[in-house]
Amino acid sequence: MRVDIEDITLSRGRITLRGSGTFGEGIHLVSGPVGSGKSTFGLLLAEIIHPTGGSVQRHGISSTLLMLQFPEYHITCPTIAEEVISWGLDPDDLLVEADLAGRADDDPFHLSRGELKRLILACTVARNPDLLMLDEPFSSLDCAAKQRACRVIEGRREGITIIFSHERAILPQVDAIWEMEGGTLKALGSVPRAIPRWRHAPPYLTYALELGARPENIRLQDAREAVCRIRG
Amino acid sequence: MIRIANLRHRVIDVPDLAVDARHIAVIGPNGSGKTTLLSICSGIEEPRRGTVRLLGRPPSAVRIGWVGEFPDRTLLFSRVYDEIASPPRFRHRSCPETDEKVRAAAEVVGISHLLEAKVSALSGGEKALAALAAAGADDPEVLILDEADSHLDARTAARVQRAVQESAATHVLWCTQSMDLAASADYVLFMAGGMIRHHGTPEEVFSRLEDTCFYPTMWRICR
Repeated sequence: MRVDIEDITLSRGRITLRGSGTFGEGIHLVSGPVGSGKSTFGLLLAEIIHPTGGSVQRHGISSTLLMLQFPEYHITCPTIAEEVISWGLDPDDLLVEADLAGRADDDPFHLSRGELKRLILACTVARNPDLLMLDEPFSSLDCAAKQRACRVIEGRREGITIIFSHERAILPQVDAIWEMEGGTLKALGSVPRAIPRWRHAPPYLTYALELGARPENIRLQDAREAVCRIRG
Repeated sequence: MIRIANLRHRVIDVPDLAVDARHIAVIGPNGSGKTTLLSICSGIEEPRRGTVRLLGRPPSAVRIGWVGEFPDRTLLFSRVYDEIASPPRFRHRSCPETDEKVRAAAEVVGISHLLEAKVSALSGGEKALAALAAAGADDPEVLILDEADSHLDARTAARVQRAVQESAATHVLWCTQSMDLAASADYVLFMAGGMIRHHGTPEEVFSRLEDTCFYPTMWRICR
């Protein structure tokens, strides 16, 4: 299972997207500043839009889902239970999974932003698509909810998961890091080798690297463990 | 000075609070009442009971710049320029003065190149910057930002923080999910279940949160 991107170009508004690379099975983190084209790139991989040059080729992928940055755009039904059913899922199981038991008959728009993100994240992950893309899955969540979202993402054992995020405090374990800047996608490679090359690394990771530590992954606990190893 | 007395409104229950700091960070879990507190302080909502005074006046008598949690929903105009121009225009400033304020506010947050752009063509983070420029366009006395940084990358968030530091506002009330940012505030309010559970300097508040994920990541790794 993989997605090959070959010399794609796409002009959309002020951004021209460019990039090459292969997304294999595992968890990929795509980081980059605001307006660098992360969301547009997600639309492209989801085949909602198409490149003007180059190609996006999928191999062995039979299902794709993209979770949008603003979860309210996913809502199509007047109750939470119907919303879950519209994903082809059983509301009883899913609402327990999303920690929203007892809210089945509520209007999805009565959920807080964090709760709504939790619901949509649970639905997209439960569908277990071969290719799952999450656009800013951590924005507007509190730290406890971010930690829960990380566990849900890390729990995906198969398929390709691509996270587009600028999160700087609570991150999941990932297999590969990519950076986007000014519309150009750059593969930094697999973790941990990619970590020292990561320009958008969160401050705790940069701090650990500057001390000469070599974290094995990108979470705060990985950075702390690496610092402990060199401090003894 | 921000003074709150006997405030009861929806989930909020704040019997008494007086804060004289400039840069005040409001933190706490989702649903703890941060947004409600900020909308009462900005005068968008009238409290059911109790009073809020900013600079000795009710919020409606204070020039307030406000940026909401969902910039997507609160931007009114279709062109970035017109959005930023709305506060001076609503206050009947002259056209040359409005133009000057718009360009200065856009410059401060780094979106001068977007003035002619359509709001609908902006990214999520750029919308937050446009909303921030509009909030700062007419020299607010108090700046209120409701998780304006949650759609921003580190570099942009740092630019926003600089803009906020440099603004002439007497108070900046800022709610954020970034504890590393909150650690740089002059004063921190930690809310849970509608109440202000801890308040004080970042040192005082975070020392009580050391066993939780609300402790700043940089403190966790450096100390």
